Amino acid sequence: MTVIIGELSLWVALLMAAWSMTASFAGARLRRDELVESGVRGLYATFAMVLLASIGLWTALLTKDFSIEYVASKISSTMPSVYIFTAFWSGQAGSLLFWALILSMYATIAIATSRKSNRELIPYATGTLAAILVFFIATDAFKANPFARLDFTPLDGNGMNPQLQNPGMAIHPPNLYLGYVATAIPFAFAIAALFTRRLDAEWLSVVRRWTLLSWFFLTVGIMLGMWWAYVELGWGGYWAWDPVENASFLPWLTNTAFLHSIMIQEKRGMLRKWNVVLVVVSFLLSIFGTFITRSGVIESVHSFSQSPVGTWFAFFFFLSTGVTIYLVATRLPNLEAKAELESMVSREAAFLYNNLLLCGIAFAVLWGTVFPIISEWVKNEKITVGPPFFNTVNVPLGLLLLALTGVGPLIAWRRASVSNLKRQFASPAIAGLVVGVVLFALGMRNGYVLVAYTLCGFVAGTIVQEFYKGMRARQAIHEESLITAFIHLVGRNRRRYGGYIVHAGIVMLFAAFAGMAFKKESDITIRTGESYQTKDPYGHTWKFVSQGVSTSDRRDRSVKAATLDAFRDGRRVGLITAEKRQYKDAMGNDLFNEITEIGLKSRPRQDVYVVLTQVPDANTAEMRITFNPLVMWVWTSGFLMMIGGLIVMWPQAERRRPQAGYAAVMPAHGAVTAASEMPVGV
Amino acid sequence: MTTRRQFLERVAGSAAALFAGAGVSAQTPAQRGMIHDTMVMKDTTNLFAMDQNAARSVRLPPKPNAVPVLSDDERDDLEHRIHCQCGCTLDVFTCRTTDFTCQVSPAMHADIVELVRGGYGAQEIIDAFVNTYGQRALMAPKKSGFNLLAWITPGIGVIVAGSILAMLLRRMGRRAASHAPQSRPVALDVDATPDELARLEAAVRGDDDA
Repeated sequence: MTVIIGELSLWVALLMAAWSMTASFAGARLRRDELVESGVRGLYATFAMVLLASIGLWTALLTKDFSIEYVASKISSTMPSVYIFTAFWSGQAGSLLFWALILSMYATIAIATSRKSNRELIPYATGTLAAILVFFIATDAFKANPFARLDFTPLDGNGMNPQLQNPGMAIHPPNLYLGYVATAIPFAFAIAALFTRRLDAEWLSVVRRWTLLSWFFLTVGIMLGMWWAYVELGWGGYWAWDPVENASFLPWLTNTAFLHSIMIQEKRGMLRKWNVVLVVVSFLLSIFGTFITRSGVIESVHSFSQSPVGTWFAFFFFLSTGVTIYLVATRLPNLEAKAELESMVSREAAFLYNNLLLCGIAFAVLWGTVFPIISEWVKNEKITVGPPFFNTVNVPLGLLLLALTGVGPLIAWRRASVSNLKRQFASPAIAGLVVGVVLFALGMRNGYVLVAYTLCGFVAGTIVQEFYKGMRARQAIHEESLITAFIHLVGRNRRRYGGYIVHAGIVMLFAAFAGMAFKKESDITIRTGESYQTKDPYGHTWKFVSQGVSTSDRRDRSVKAATLDAFRDGRRVGLITAEKRQYKDAMGNDLFNEITEIGLKSRPRQDVYVVLTQVPDANTAEMRITFNPLVMWVWTSGFLMMIGGLIVMWPQAERRRPQAGYAAVMPAHGAVTAASEMPVGV
Repeated sequence: MTTRRQFLERVAGSAAALFAGAGVSAQTPAQRGMIHDTMVMKDTTNLFAMDQNAARSVRLPPKPNAVPVLSDDERDDLEHRIHCQCGCTLDVFTCRTTDFTCQVSPAMHADIVELVRGGYGAQEIIDAFVNTYGQRALMAPKKSGFNLLAWITPGIGVIVAGSILAMLLRRMGRRAASHAPQSRPVALDVDATPDELARLEAAVRGDDDA
């Protein structure tokens, strides 16, 4: 019964969304408030209906109703309940419904909370959000209906690939969806602002808030995906430049660019066209990412196979792009800047360079991702564009971006003086140089890596300097302890210092990436009792003694495991066990391919990562042992970025903020320069 | 698995059908049923479908008095440059040492081992793989011909965008300089140190962001 209600709700949701779209746009054009109100209520009703449909699907999954095609293809009776719950978004039809659920929830929250402050924009924003919902619900209902029934009821379902039965994979997709979908809200408000030509500051606060949310969830989602790939897939890395990974990275890049460039619009009324473009592009890239994930147009390890929805996504993507280009092109005069940029050496300019690099990286990633299609179309030749391309193209741009991460926050608004530059950059520059010289003296000769660590030292220096100055100022003025000063400093300037914490995470991430240049791997064949000796990237001697190969049968799998006793420089580190698992159904038949469970010893300096590749006989194991330097720093950087993002997002009482034009009454440059050096809010 | 070309043709066809007023309703019940049937069998995971039969033989006669010119490490490095054809996006070395239970990468590895034993160098082995599989045997396109575009376009894009940005910045800087007197009405003849002015400026601005 619940399932039938769920399916019916999906169709009612489609009608509601269509009504909301029609009533909102008509109400806005005809200036009829009752239509606008009806459109808004239609949006709320859409959320209620999509929620009901989702409850229906969850019910079908949890009650193991195998007469439903989606349930039969996604779960089996032996699966743990938690993965039965997460099976909701593990396939095409369910994930589209999940997308609609998040979007309708976001839309309801965004419209309900912005109705008073953005009255003029609401009808168009509602109409745009409803239009996006129409697309997603229609795609789900017509092309990938999660409630489609089978002609027969199988005894058991296919089950979920064991590699997807991992806590990281349970929460990684929802986070990415939460990030992707959140780009729809800024997009809707940008479209509304373009329609109404109200392109001043009023739409910015909503847009910034939702872009931050999108950025936050994309960051968490990407990090979880990296962690899952690292611990589950067994290839010893966390980022492979797979098209679907790239698809999540693209809106993250443009969101990051926007979160920097919006500051220039807030402060100086500049970059108004550019910010609209970034908001729109972030959404379009989210749709593009979904399109390439689901169409099979680009080879990826993630592709939803035999997907019928790709054409619809392509159509929606081009339609949205066309409408947006038309709106932006016809509103250009309304998007003129309200102030001029005065110097190429200023914070505004630094943020522009930052935007150039972020968008340059986004373009390079997009280009590399779609180039196989272009090549096949033009030359009818299949090619692969893999990590060697992306690393070659993006590493120099990434390093420049890292340098700007240090420069941007310290340089003065409007125009930096030489004394400003000297005062602000002397200590961080020395810190960077010291790091570079020490590493060179220790024998590091890889050029890119040396530059990366030197820049990490420089940027870390800028961050430490900012916190130090701020805390010292608070201590001097308010006579606070160091810890209290730190808490108050961050608490009262969340955007600024939360941003620095994010930057600290970025520094750590670059350091971790650079560390992987020293990754060392060995393939060994080892018999019980034998040992293997090797050196790690730091020069320590490791000895691995085989404890033998064991086999065991569990309820849902048979397991082969090989255990190594690890010693570093003669001191015992502990046992490392790697497994090969063959999952089985209730009848004992093999499910999916055999998979590997890695053995891992994780330390801040490096991970020892062991994969059991083959078991040729009862006493022999073929294994790959990899020393992965600084991988723990990647996960720590993720936490830092998450914490920084939360601090930035945490609501703070709004103070009256002078908008663009403030610069026109700024005092002379000397004072401005000094101001930018001052830790604010002390 | 639908090929890219088939997909692109289908997109073009569907767009044409939509413009012609046909669209989704033109799909026959039989076609719809077919989609559902394939979904039950295929759409069990969003991981890729492995093609275990993709390996082709890449063998060349050994060179006279052949001795290997590549060490094991150099051979592994070479395998990092050759793309496994099973449908994954990994190189041969990474794929054969992970858990995808791929039968293609071990076969490709065996070919590489034979070619190394036959006295062939890295470039000769790469050429042999390209002759058999085409350019898709490489992890990145060659830096020649049409594929050179892949490599140079991002750089050109950034340089062009950077040049436009620099031009705009210079123009804006000139315009701002010509308006400068009007934008600085406040004199500095106040009895305050730069630090005090700075604090005042920050307080007035109510600034709390970077």
